[in-house]
Amino acid sequence: MKKVKLVKPEKSIGSIDLPFMVLVLTLVIFGLIMLFSASYATAYYRFNDSYKFIKQQAFFAVIGVIAMFVASRVDYHIFHKLALPLLALTMVLLVIVLFMPELNGAKRWIFIPGLGNFQPSEVAKFAVIVLFANIIAVNADKMKTFSYGVLPFGIVLGAVAVLMLLEPHLSGTILICSIGAVMMFIGGTSLKWFGIGGAIGAGGITAAVLAFPDLVPYAMTRIEMWQNPFMDIQGKGHQTVQSLYAIGSGGLFGLGLGNSRQKHMYVPEPQNDFIFSIICEELGFVGAMLVVLLFVALLIRGATIAIYAKDKFGAMLVVGITAQVTIQAMLNIAVVTNTIPNTGISLPFFSYGGTSLLMLLGEMGIVLSVSRQCRYPKE
Amino acid sequence: MSKEQTPKPNTTITIRRRIIITVAVMVLGGFGLLGYNLGCLQLRDYEELQAKASKQQMRATTIPANRGVIYDANMKVLAQSTTVWNISVSPKEIPDEKKEAVAKGLSEILEVDYDALLERMRTSNSYYESVKKKVEKPATDAVREWVSSADLPGVNIDQDTKRYYPYGDFASTVLGFTSSDNKGLAGLEYYYNDTLSGTPGRSVQATNALGYEMPYAEESYYEAKDGNSLVSTLDEVIQHSLEKNLQLAVKTHNVSQRAIGIVMDVNTGAILGMATEGAYDPNDPFTIYDEALRAQVDAVQDDPATADVNEHTEALEKARQFQWRNKAVNDLYEPGSVFKTVTAAAALDSGSSTINSSFSCSGSLTVAGTRMRCAHPEGHGSQTLLQSYVNSCNPAFIQIGTKMGAETFFSYFESFGLTQKTGIDLPGEAQSQFYKAESLGPVQLASSSFGQSIKITPIQMITAVSTAINGGHLVQPHMVSKILDENGNVVKDVTPASKRQVISEETSAQMRTLMAGAAVSKTQVAGYQVGGKSGTSQKLDSGDPEARIASFVAVAPINDPKVAVLIVLDEPHSYSSYGGMLAAPVAGKVLGDVLPYIGIQPVYNEENGEAQVTAGLGDQTGGLLVDVQAALQKQGFFSKVVGNGTTVVRQFPSGGTSLAKGSTVILYTEDGAADSMITVPDIIGRSNTAASQALTAVGLNIFKEGVISDDTNIKALSQNVEPGTQVPAGTVVTVVFGDNTIYD
Repeated sequence: MKKVKLVKPEKSIGSIDLPFMVLVLTLVIFGLIMLFSASYATAYYRFNDSYKFIKQQAFFAVIGVIAMFVASRVDYHIFHKLALPLLALTMVLLVIVLFMPELNGAKRWIFIPGLGNFQPSEVAKFAVIVLFANIIAVNADKMKTFSYGVLPFGIVLGAVAVLMLLEPHLSGTILICSIGAVMMFIGGTSLKWFGIGGAIGAGGITAAVLAFPDLVPYAMTRIEMWQNPFMDIQGKGHQTVQSLYAIGSGGLFGLGLGNSRQKHMYVPEPQNDFIFSIICEELGFVGAMLVVLLFVALLIRGATIAIYAKDKFGAMLVVGITAQVTIQAMLNIAVVTNTIPNTGISLPFFSYGGTSLLMLLGEMGIVLSVSRQCRYPKE
Repeated sequence: MSKEQTPKPNTTITIRRRIIITVAVMVLGGFGLLGYNLGCLQLRDYEELQAKASKQQMRATTIPANRGVIYDANMKVLAQSTTVWNISVSPKEIPDEKKEAVAKGLSEILEVDYDALLERMRTSNSYYESVKKKVEKPATDAVREWVSSADLPGVNIDQDTKRYYPYGDFASTVLGFTSSDNKGLAGLEYYYNDTLSGTPGRSVQATNALGYEMPYAEESYYEAKDGNSLVSTLDEVIQHSLEKNLQLAVKTHNVSQRAIGIVMDVNTGAILGMATEGAYDPNDPFTIYDEALRAQVDAVQDDPATADVNEHTEALEKARQFQWRNKAVNDLYEPGSVFKTVTAAAALDSGSSTINSSFSCSGSLTVAGTRMRCAHPEGHGSQTLLQSYVNSCNPAFIQIGTKMGAETFFSYFESFGLTQKTGIDLPGEAQSQFYKAESLGPVQLASSSFGQSIKITPIQMITAVSTAINGGHLVQPHMVSKILDENGNVVKDVTPASKRQVISEETSAQMRTLMAGAAVSKTQVAGYQVGGKSGTSQKLDSGDPEARIASFVAVAPINDPKVAVLIVLDEPHSYSSYGGMLAAPVAGKVLGDVLPYIGIQPVYNEENGEAQVTAGLGDQTGGLLVDVQAALQKQGFFSKVVGNGTTVVRQFPSGGTSLAKGSTVILYTEDGAADSMITVPDIIGRSNTAASQALTAVGLNIFKEGVISDDTNIKALSQNVEPGTQVPAGTVVTVVFGDNTIYD
């Protein structure tokens, strides 16, 4: 690998991007309110404690916001050096998770007594973003070639994907591959490789299907249910149907904050992947579109920061992180609205999950860190 | 900072361009598609999804509205709803191991089949399986107590109402009845169903997916609006008299197609009584009450050859329809001679005849080749219109009809309201059948003139008669005088105006003269001047050539009419089939009850007959013989002593009876003395005095009903104990006196 001179950080620390920070804090607060609303019924029924979920989430939100501001003060160039160690850590975790006990038919969680649980896939996402940003920054002028613009990405994505499919974690795999593809595209990988990559991906899926026939029924039932979830309202279509009932019940203005009926044990785990359907039910089309527009605003502001980032590494870090958040939000809303087949994917800032929120806010801190060194045109 | 000092971002054009492309694709493609889908779900499919969601979330409980009360004219309750309960189970909420206990408890308290209930609870996964409906309070309380003491889940007790008719079969064909879900199925209950039923309320409770009520969820509660109540024009006393006398007539005269009675206020059209006997009990309307009819239905067996036809069910259904019919309104009949009232009124009012116009009768009359007979085969000779009406002479009425012509006849027929339904507030009023003016040929006009070949309802007939004598205004017959809300406030006061003046006041006065003449002594109400007209019509559409309808309309007091009574006996099988013989006494008895009740005091004179003077007989047992004898004598009774004792140990008739003065009381002074038995003589056809003598001579007492007069036309028409029967000495034989000259 050819050494390139890395851009030195600014001596004086710039100011963070205020719009981005406001958007993030808005999403965090909005997310906490909706999580409380969506979770208290389930928390009450299951744990006889309506505050069970919100207490933990709020705690992690506070820690996360602190982490975000700390991260924003750290020069993001530190991740040049952390890229490979992070990847190594990811690989180790992805292997360890395969020896963890199953939860709902998959091994996605690592349990650390005393600390809680986390998904290695969360770490994997971040590691892939950092590594890809690094590769792109280093090899920017060779991105059009196969050996620099495709091969390293392919190897990393392939390895991560295979490990994650073993859990199995289809949605996480799709998400990571999507983030990787977006970064490669923006980083300058020639478009023809995407066509070839698509073909290889199709072949890879075929190969995976052949190698792990156990995965076939898992994926197929979900796709069948996608076409007509009302076919089996009591069974496999249950989750989707209940989600659609919730969304539809909202109408234009919704039933009002806290007034969801579907969260009362109809929508399974309304605090997790299906929290958006409860938002739709309580706040209506208006509230749902507000959430969509917040993510759109986050995307546009993230893109702006990337465009004006001081260097390619900063730009690609922001691209990766922004892509992660917005693609995940899109996939989640797509699942909840039955636009795509049902697959477990959470809604950033809204879904319950402490470590996940903590990591997300840390990443937001990195975006803010990049924003401090942005070079906006003076006008 | 100067422009030069600001370094440009160190990103390439490719990265920037591709960022913008990516953002554009994600916003327009990704989020755009999601926004569109959200719009579809929340704006386009909102109603459908919301409805489906509600269906699973909301458990609605109906709060029944209390059905309004039906009162009689004096606010006596004729129909009301009482609270009952429906017991059901919710198998989904009962754990499997508790199902047996629940089934056992409920089957014991509610007397339902244990195995069947348990089976249903095991197979059903619903929240509602009915166990027993319309459970009364004691059983419901028992269930409640058992549920709370045994601490078992999933037993539901829901309130419901049940219709209750405190007087049983009283006025049943008028009141009608309700279905198990409280809908009126017949009579006033059906006609006024919307008024009576009110609006049921609803309680909508959101439940979670486990079926429990949501904590913090608000419950929407829509209060039930109770139904309004009806104040009927029916008077319990009058209705009771009408039913009692009709029942007696049905029994004594073997009336096979039921008997109809209507009592109407001639000035307002208010129906004071209306009955079709034999009736049914609206508390259980599906049972067939007529024994013969029930036996007939039971005899019908399903024919295995026709598997698709359930013969027994059909026969049962037909029998039910028969017993539920309110023939006063639902059925047509040929009114016969009673209709001559309309013909006479038309003739007098149109001026085509006067009350003194002369008509001749030779016993029959041939009209356009059709020979029509008079009921009096030897003929009436020459008679005035008044005499023709009194004699009920068919040939004379043919002439009266012909004289006024088809046009005039039909215009009065129409004006009397006989071409249209009366519009009485009862369901299923039948449409009359008649000839229109242009199709009234000589034969049709002739037969119509004396009430054959036209078919009208009894309610039309009594309305027309009321119109003829009330001053000539056509009244609106009606059953309900007031509608009250649930607090008893009057919502609607029904006093229908008369529809039109049909005949002049003068003609109406002449009609009263006619009816007074025709009724002389026939209705047999001592102390009152009654007008009336009898009718005996052939049932031309009946297979039985002997089938007759015997009817009588009576109006009283005839000089200032207040009430009209129409009695129609459909197919009597008795010693006579004449309306004057069979129906008139019934009308008379009803009037005898009604007139004093509505405050018209009897006046006894030569014309009205003498009063039967009675006194209450006390219980004299235990008294000293001499004292008892003195006391009885003082009361106007005779006494006859049996035995040699000094105290009265038994008396006959017993105490508490109302006896005619001059009756003899048998006093027994020794225990164990046998009654001396006496053979009842035949006294039918004897005069007033002769009948009394015949009975007292053998040691029996007489109680006179009807017209008690020494007029030569007044004869004993019936006796309540058959001749030849052995009865104890002193037995009171009730004898009905009247004029049995046959006119119709």
